[in-house]
Amino acid sequence: MSQQQTKNCITLRGSAQILCEYLNYAINSVLFQRGLYPPETFKAAQQYGITLLLSEDPQIKNFLTNLLTQSEEWILNKKVSKLSLVILNVANKEILECWDFNVQYEEGDVALSKEKNETVGSKDLKKIQQEIRDVMLQVAATISYLPFLDCRCSFDVLVHAKTDCDIPEKWAEAEPVAIVNAQNVQLKTFSTSLHKMETVVSYKLVD
Amino acid sequence: MAKEGDMSLLNDVLEPFRRVINTDPPKDKLSASTKLIFSDSNQSIKEDTPNLHSLGKRKSVLNMSAPETPEKRMRSDSTSNTVSAPPSPWEAKRLKIDIIAAKAQIAKLEARVNHQHTIRKEMQILFEEEKTSLTEQHKRDQRAVSEMEERLQLIRRREQELKDEYNEAIKQHMEKKTKWDKEKNELQKQIAELKDKLLESNVSSKDQISEMKKDMDELLQALEGAQQEVEMLKKEVTRQTSRAEQCTTLRTQVEKQTFELQQVTSKLKEIEYERDSYKDWQQQAKTAQKRLTNMAELEKEVIRLRAAERNLRDAVCNKLLLEEQVNLLTTKVETLQPMQQQLHEATVKIAALESSLEEWTTAAKNHGIETSRALSSALDSALSSQLNAVAGCSEAQSILAQHTEELATLKFERDKINTKLNDLQIVRKNQESLIHRLQKRLLLVTRERDSYRQQLDSYERELTVSLSGEGAGGAALLAARVEQLEKALQAYRDLLAHHDHEPAAKALESARAEINKYRDEAEAAKRDVIKLRAQRDQLQAHLEKLAAPTKVLHLADNPAAAAHKQMQVDLESAQEEIKKLKTALREGGSRACPEEMQQLKTQLENSRIKLQRMKEEFTSSAQEYRDVCYMLLGYKIDRTGHKNYRISNMYAESSDEYLTFTLCDDGIEMVHTEYSASLGELVELHLHHHRSIPLFLSALTMELFTRTTMQQEVQEC
Repeated sequence: MSQQQTKNCITLRGSAQILCEYLNYAINSVLFQRGLYPPETFKAAQQYGITLLLSEDPQIKNFLTNLLTQSEEWILNKKVSKLSLVILNVANKEILECWDFNVQYEEGDVALSKEKNETVGSKDLKKIQQEIRDVMLQVAATISYLPFLDCRCSFDVLVHAKTDCDIPEKWAEAEPVAIVNAQNVQLKTFSTSLHKMETVVSYKLVD
Repeated sequence: MAKEGDMSLLNDVLEPFRRVINTDPPKDKLSASTKLIFSDSNQSIKEDTPNLHSLGKRKSVLNMSAPETPEKRMRSDSTSNTVSAPPSPWEAKRLKIDIIAAKAQIAKLEARVNHQHTIRKEMQILFEEEKTSLTEQHKRDQRAVSEMEERLQLIRRREQELKDEYNEAIKQHMEKKTKWDKEKNELQKQIAELKDKLLESNVSSKDQISEMKKDMDELLQALEGAQQEVEMLKKEVTRQTSRAEQCTTLRTQVEKQTFELQQVTSKLKEIEYERDSYKDWQQQAKTAQKRLTNMAELEKEVIRLRAAERNLRDAVCNKLLLEEQVNLLTTKVETLQPMQQQLHEATVKIAALESSLEEWTTAAKNHGIETSRALSSALDSALSSQLNAVAGCSEAQSILAQHTEELATLKFERDKINTKLNDLQIVRKNQESLIHRLQKRLLLVTRERDSYRQQLDSYERELTVSLSGEGAGGAALLAARVEQLEKALQAYRDLLAHHDHEPAAKALESARAEINKYRDEAEAAKRDVIKLRAQRDQLQAHLEKLAAPTKVLHLADNPAAAAHKQMQVDLESAQEEIKKLKTALREGGSRACPEEMQQLKTQLENSRIKLQRMKEEFTSSAQEYRDVCYMLLGYKIDRTGHKNYRISNMYAESSDEYLTFTLCDDGIEMVHTEYSASLGELVELHLHHHRSIPLFLSALTMELFTRTTMQQEVQEC
């Protein structure tokens, strides 16, 4: 496991890494489930005790690694409040779907933090993974009620950062998105005892 | 003593054995001793045989032990010695005892000897084993030594060989070195030669290039000439194509003219036909003029119809009068309503006042107001009457209440009447619309009447012939027609009366209008909902912004932007392609693909040639067929027109002698001609009697043949 963890002790960086790992799998899973890219470009991988699909497209991989390394830094510095995976129609740039990943910052284990002289959490890793697995299964189940995407679609990830956050190279400021006539569905949340991740999908309700 | 002697003897005997044991004797010594022993034993056995009976016990002992001991011989000698001298009993006993003791000692000694033997044997075995092991070791050592020597020799040989090889290698190396040096020198020489050659070739190539350039210039000039020629040829080709086009246009014109000619001929035919028909029309016009004389009657009819129309107009006027009356009535009703109310109120008041007056008068009569006493009493009575009046007042109040109630009821009634009035007004409107309709109907009727008149005219034209013949019948027909027309009029009137379904239609329309209203409302509500949702979303976004001031960041090169760019690129390329295709379309497909045009032209030419050939073939084969028919059957058949055939015989005297036949639906028929009229007999016999044209024709040929031959014969004669 990549996170630094010894005897149920999760550091801030480790927690951020767990979050980013979840984000990677969740974004890939959404891209696969929503049919944005052909299914043959995805490769199955075992994670959280279930089979998840990861894109083999080098462009997507590159994009996600760039995004998630920067996001990890920001999460570590408590700069990010929300990440939004936006699915839009390429022809008219209309937003069709928005997957919000709300990040909340928690205290962790206060006693252990004092002892270790840094903020750490004491949640069992297996339990965290169990929670993440539940969320991933819900993500997979959303396909049953989300509207069919029958146009050429693409995606973007918007990071809702604090205003005092510097804009790094290759990054740009974007317009906040809003879906007309939106319908929100709140999925399960999971927590690493340092961060709490809330997943919400909002989609355009077709009358 | 004997014991000692025995012991010494034994020692003597054992001495060699001991020596053998001590000085580890070789095998041959041991074998000699054994030999000795065997010879002794043989002797002892030979000697023992006569004394078997006395020495039975000992012999068994001896047999048990080693029989080869030398002690036996000696003892047997001693026994023989004792037997020789007769002993005394004591001595015998003592001897016996000695013997027994000696025997025991012998046994012991034998046992010891045996023991010694066994030891010796063991020792012998041990020594033998040691010896064998030593010999084996010796052999191994020898072998090892020999092997080592062999190896040494081998190594020496190898050393020698390696030395030889080394020497050879050195020699080869030296030789190769010398060779390579030689080769190097040769190659350097070759390089020098090649360099010289290169220089030479460079010079020669330069010369060649200049020559080539000259050739090139010449060729270019030739090419230019050829291009000019090509241009000339192209011009000629264009001229030729234009000529071809002109030819085609001329052809089309010719075709058009032929078509027009056909049309003109057809028109001519039509005109002829029309001329014929015009003659007929002239005749008909004459008859029509005759018919015009009968117009008076028709005019009478018209007058009748006009009267009917007047009647209809009167009815319409009546309806208008009725409407006016309705209007007057409604105004009257409106004016009368308040008067009625006042009347009602007045009558009610009068009734109440009359009742009160009666009460008062009765009270006054009862009290008698004329006297002063009566005044007091009247005062009392007045007091009482006041009381009464109070009571009356209350009564009056109650009456007032009643009146108010009545008023309310009257108002209600008034409202009712008003509603009735409205209804009446609606009815009036309906009637007005009906009048409109009726007017329209009238127009229709008049038009229909006109049409009927025209029809009548046409009928009369048709009937003029019969009418001119018999006037009374015509009058009857006209009366019947008038009746029919009246019936039709009645039917129209009924239809008009039936067309009072207006209210239902109006209700429907109002319902539809309501539906439209509700629909509009629903749409407005939907719009409101959409607006409200948008507002809600905006407010939510605003709230989020207020809650946590964030700025939205994203990677500049995200997949959405990439996809958008790709799409724009695709769009531009598609538009460019569209432009290209459009321009190509404008330029025209003919210029775009002249090769195809050329191919098509050649194809057309080929097909034309083919058609021409087919025609020629057809005409030639047709001619051939005709000739064959003529030669075989003797008749020349010509097709003069559609389904008309002219046949002339081979032996006919002149070209005027021909028969014509037409093809009908049920066979072929002969048409009457001047020549056929001259063949009355044959026609009668073969066509009317036998009903066979071939027979007729063959009979004709026979007759003609015989006639010609007869003539020839006559001439010959």
